[in-house]
Amino acid sequence: MTTARENGWAVCRACRSLSDKPGEKCAVCGSRIHLRRPKSLQWVWAFWIAGVIAYIPGNLLPIMITESIAGDKPATIISGILILFNQGSYLISGVIFFASIFVPVSKFIIIAWLALSIQRGWAISEHRRHFAHEVVEFIGRWSMIDVFVVAALAALIQLGALMSIRPGAGVDAFAISVILTMFSAMSLDPRMIWDRRGDNRRSNNAEF
Amino acid sequence: MTGVEDISHIAHTHTVQNQRLREIDDLNREWLACPHCDELWQRPRLNPGQRARCGRCHSVILTNKRRSTENTMALMTASLILNIVAVTFPFLKMEKSGLSNEISVLDAISVLWVNGLPGLAIGCAAFVLVFPLARIILLLHLGMSVQKQQDTGRKHAYMFRLAQILEPWTMAEIFMIGVIVSLVKVGKLADLSIGPAFWAMFSLMILLSLGALAVCRDTFWQDIRRAS
Repeated sequence: MTTARENGWAVCRACRSLSDKPGEKCAVCGSRIHLRRPKSLQWVWAFWIAGVIAYIPGNLLPIMITESIAGDKPATIISGILILFNQGSYLISGVIFFASIFVPVSKFIIIAWLALSIQRGWAISEHRRHFAHEVVEFIGRWSMIDVFVVAALAALIQLGALMSIRPGAGVDAFAISVILTMFSAMSLDPRMIWDRRGDNRRSNNAEF
Repeated sequence: MTGVEDISHIAHTHTVQNQRLREIDDLNREWLACPHCDELWQRPRLNPGQRARCGRCHSVILTNKRRSTENTMALMTASLILNIVAVTFPFLKMEKSGLSNEISVLDAISVLWVNGLPGLAIGCAAFVLVFPLARIILLLHLGMSVQKQQDTGRKHAYMFRLAQILEPWTMAEIFMIGVIVSLVKVGKLADLSIGPAFWAMFSLMILLSLGALAVCRDTFWQDIRRAS
């Protein structure tokens, strides 16, 4: 069992062509080939921290404001879920809770856990971490549901003085948080999960 | 004089590039590395419809899909037509106390631009309209070039890379779920009716997902490598 790196080769992340000269531009698709993505963990942490910061106003600020004769009613993500739950729409409130609270928070935890496990060389099953990375990459986009809910409501409910819905600043912050976490997960080079003990310290300092 | 020199220089770079492409192709004919765990394998020969998994991390690392180009093009042609219907036709109509509001997806985005935060409008336009449309057009164009057996050079490599990069950012299906959730929210407040664009968008979401499955990137990159 050898890896491409042990052979001095590297696989292109864009087109999966194998190259015997890592560091050059891929002759097939033109993207730069690296043994491991340079500064992968630094990118992961940079996007992760920015994503966590944006998630805070995303939850604290109102995501939409209902204007009616009765006055303005702001709603945050959590209060929206509670209103739906109290109305008896358990399925919908469950979907929103899953997409807007459960998925983002578990994503933050899983990405941090993966990055730390690579940095510290924790002896956790590679298969388990590989699976966690795949899940995070697959499910991350679905957090955008609440953003589209607000967009659809704000576009549809435009009945002047009777009732209209206006998006709040929270929805921008939340969307930015989701996008940043997607970038964070993409920045993680999965090959590092599988590298043998001690390999990563070398590759973090290496040129490619 | 200088003109002749320039041309010979270009021709020289071209041969060097082709030479390198041939070297890479020779390497790839024999070997295959897993992009997920970096394990090196002897490249298996796959029959149409077969796929290979990495023996170390169990990811699918090589596919040879049946009629990939034809299926992708059929799905993308249908998607292009549906996309036009989905964007321009009325999507939803709501009525309350004599007041009514009928919107298409384009209206929705312009309403957001005018009334709300322009950032949200740009985001929705990009994820729901621009990125899916760009991906449809790129894949259609590539499919046509492959079928006409045109020289699949560097330009096509860039186009396919762009189409692959766009894949996680096309969110038509997430938009549809969001709309359905908002319908449930509004349903209690007003009378709602669904327009033709709603069903077009719903079909589009299914066709785009099938289209993503029909693309066989290994076959495409192999064609590019053999183009020299």
